[in-house]
Amino acid sequence: MSADLLQIGDLTFTSRLLLGTGKFSDSATMLRALAASGAQIVTVALRRFNPAQAADDLFGPLSQLPGVTLMPNTSGARDAAEAIRAARIARELCGSRLIKVEIHPNPQHLLPDAIETLEAARVLAAEGFLVMPYMPADPVLAKRLEDVGVASVMPLGAPIGSGQGLGASEMLRIIIENSRVPVIVDAGLRAPSEAAGALELGCAAVLVNSAVAAAERPVEMAAAFAQAVQAGRAAYRAGLMPRRSAASATSPLTNFLNAQT
Amino acid sequence: MKVQVNGEPMERPAGETLAALLTALGAGSGRVATVLNDDVVPAAARATQSLSENDRVEILTFAGGG
Amino acid sequence: MTTDHEQLTTDALPAWLDVAPLLSVARTATAADVEAALAAAHIGPREFAVLLSPAAAPYLENMARVAQALTRRHFGRTITLYAPLYLSNFCSSGCAYCGFAADRDHPRRKLSFDEADTELAALKRMGIEEVLLLTGERTPQADFAYICECVRRAAAHMAMVTVETFPMTTAEYAELVAAGCTGDTLYQETYDAAVYAPLHRWGPKRDFAARLDAPARALAGGIRQCGFGALLGLADPIEDALRLYTHIAGLQKQFWRAGFSVSFPRLRPEAGGFQTDHPVSDALLAQLIFAFRLALPENHLALSTREPAKLRDGFAGVGISKMSVASLTTVGGYDHGAEGGVGQFAVNDARGVADFCAALRAAGLEPVFKNWDAAYR
Repeated sequence: MSADLLQIGDLTFTSRLLLGTGKFSDSATMLRALAASGAQIVTVALRRFNPAQAADDLFGPLSQLPGVTLMPNTSGARDAAEAIRAARIARELCGSRLIKVEIHPNPQHLLPDAIETLEAARVLAAEGFLVMPYMPADPVLAKRLEDVGVASVMPLGAPIGSGQGLGASEMLRIIIENSRVPVIVDAGLRAPSEAAGALELGCAAVLVNSAVAAAERPVEMAAAFAQAVQAGRAAYRAGLMPRRSAASATSPLTNFLNAQT
Repeated sequence: MKVQVNGEPMERPAGETLAALLTALGAGSGRVATVLNDDVVPAAARATQSLSENDRVEILTFAGGG
Repeated sequence: MTTDHEQLTTDALPAWLDVAPLLSVARTATAADVEAALAAAHIGPREFAVLLSPAAAPYLENMARVAQALTRRHFGRTITLYAPLYLSNFCSSGCAYCGFAADRDHPRRKLSFDEADTELAALKRMGIEEVLLLTGERTPQADFAYICECVRRAAAHMAMVTVETFPMTTAEYAELVAAGCTGDTLYQETYDAAVYAPLHRWGPKRDFAARLDAPARALAGGIRQCGFGALLGLADPIEDALRLYTHIAGLQKQFWRAGFSVSFPRLRPEAGGFQTDHPVSDALLAQLIFAFRLALPENHLALSTREPAKLRDGFAGVGISKMSVASLTTVGGYDHGAEGGVGQFAVNDARGVADFCAALRAAGLEPVFKNWDAAYR
C-alpha cells in the first residue's frame, strides 16, 4: 500500500492533525502538547512586537522543532485587504507559503466572512501562497474557493471554540464528495471521537486548538487527538460497514421486464 | 522627528534607519517583520531604509493562535 | 484509408479511461458485495462497479426499490418530458450503425429556417417546452451557423433548447449559449477506442479524442446541461458504463455549476441493417439504469422512444427521470404536410403526448414540460 500522505499543494505531510498554538497557559505546555500531537502543521498568529515580552518569542522554539511547518493565520483581519496584508507580513516573517486565511468581522462569534475570504483567497493564491481558508461549511463556497486556487478548504465543524463537534456533517459530506482539494475540519471540535468521526467521513485532516489547550491536561489530550485522527483515517481507508436499510415490501417493480406484451 | 511605532508616538533621531530603530527597541536580534506605512520592508532592506517625519512603523512577530 | 484516418494512438487518451481496477470489481464481485453496496450510505465508484457485476443481476428488484426511492427523493413524482427535432440528415461521417451515415442511400434534406419555425410551432402546439435539436456531423449544409440560427429560433418558442449535433470549439459553444442553447448532448457512442475506430469508418467523427473532450469544451463555453451516453450494443456495456461514470465524475468536480445527465440508447434497427456483437437485454438495461441511479442520485437519467411502451412505463420514476415523447426521427414531420422520409432509427414507442401523459398519470407520475423560464437571460 502506498504511503498515505496529506498533500497540501506541493507539500506532503504524514500527520493529519493540525494544531493551533493559542489559548495555552504557557508556551512550555504548548510545546509539549505540540510534541505529543505529532502535528506537522502548526498555526501561529501575528502580533505587534512588545519589548517587554521579547523573551516570549514563539518563533525561536517553534523553528527548533524538526518537521514542523508554520501556518500563520490572519486572525484579527476584518476584511480581505487586512488579511492580504497580514499574509504578506507573515510570509516575510517565516518564509512559509502556507497561510490560514481567517476573516471574522465579529469578535464575539469569530465566524468567517465568506465574501471577504473568497476575495483574499483569490489574491493570495495568485501570489503563490498555499491558501487554507477558514470558511463556513458551505459546499458552493468550497467550489468557488477551489476555483480561485486554494490549496485546501477548511470548513468549520461547528462554531469556533464551541466544542459542538460535527454539527455541519451533512454539509461536510457534500463538500468532501465534490472537492478536488483536501477538506480539513477547522474549529468546533471538543472530543477526539469527533476528530475520528471527521476523518471517517473522509476529511483529509482536522485542525484543533481549544480542545487541546482548554483540556484539563493539554499534553495528554494532544496525544489522544493524535490517536483519534489515526484511527479515523484508518477506518476511512478500511471502509465502514454499511448501515442496513429495511426494505419495505410492496408490489414488485420489475415485473415489466418479464411481461409478454 | 516624530514617528509612530506599533501605534505609539515616538521621538526618534532624524534620518534614523529602520534597522537602528529595531536595535534600539530590543528587536534587533529576534525574528520580526517590519511594515513601513503599509508596505512590508524585507529584513535585507532595513539597514538602508531611513525613516521620515510622521512615518508609521509596525513591528510584528508571532504569537500563539489557532 | 489515408494516414489522417489512422487509428488514434492510445497514449493521446486521458488516464481516466483506464478503469481496470473498477472493471476487476465488476467482474469478480460477490452477492455479499452487492448486499453491502445496496445498503451503503453512499454509492462511490467501487459500489457502482459492484452493482454492474453479474452478481448483482439477481438483485434487480432490490436495486429497483432503491432506484425508485432515490428518484422520488430528488425529482418527486415527476417525469421531465422533451421532444427531438431533427433539423438535417446530411452527414459527413460513416458510422457503421447509423441510418444517417453518409453512404446510406436515401434522400438528404434539411429544414429551411421557415420550416424549422413551422415544426417548432407544431411541437409547441403539442405542449412541448423542451426541444432537442439534432443534426449529423458537421456538413456545409448543416454547419455551425445553421445550427446557431435554428437555436435562436427555437429559443423564441421553447423554454429550453438543447442540441445534439457535433463536437464544436469552445467559442462555438459560447455562441450557441448566447443564442439561447442551455444543453448539449454528445454520446461518445463507445469509450472503447479499439472498438470505436472501425465503427467510425470516415469523417470527423473518427477523432475519438476530440469527441471525448467535447463536453469539457461545451461546459467551458457555458453550456449548463451536458448529456452523456454510450450506444448500448457497440461494445462491452459494463466497460462503457464504468468509463462514462468516470467521465462524468471528473467533469462534475471541475464544472460544478453544470448539470449532467445520462441516456441509455440501445441500438435499434436502422436502414443499413447493422448487427450488434454486444446485445443488451432488457434485464441488463435495467441493471445499468438502476446502478446509475444509485450512483448519481441527483442527475437526470433519460430514456428515449427507442424503447417500447412497456419498458418506458416500467422505468418511469424507477431510475428514469426524463423522457422524450412523441418523437419523430425523420427530418421534421411534426407539422402535418411536412415531408418526412427515412428516420435515423426506428421509434419503438409511438404514443402521442396525450396518451403518454395519461400513462404516466396512471402510474402516479406528473409529466413536467417546463421546469423554469429563462426570464433573466
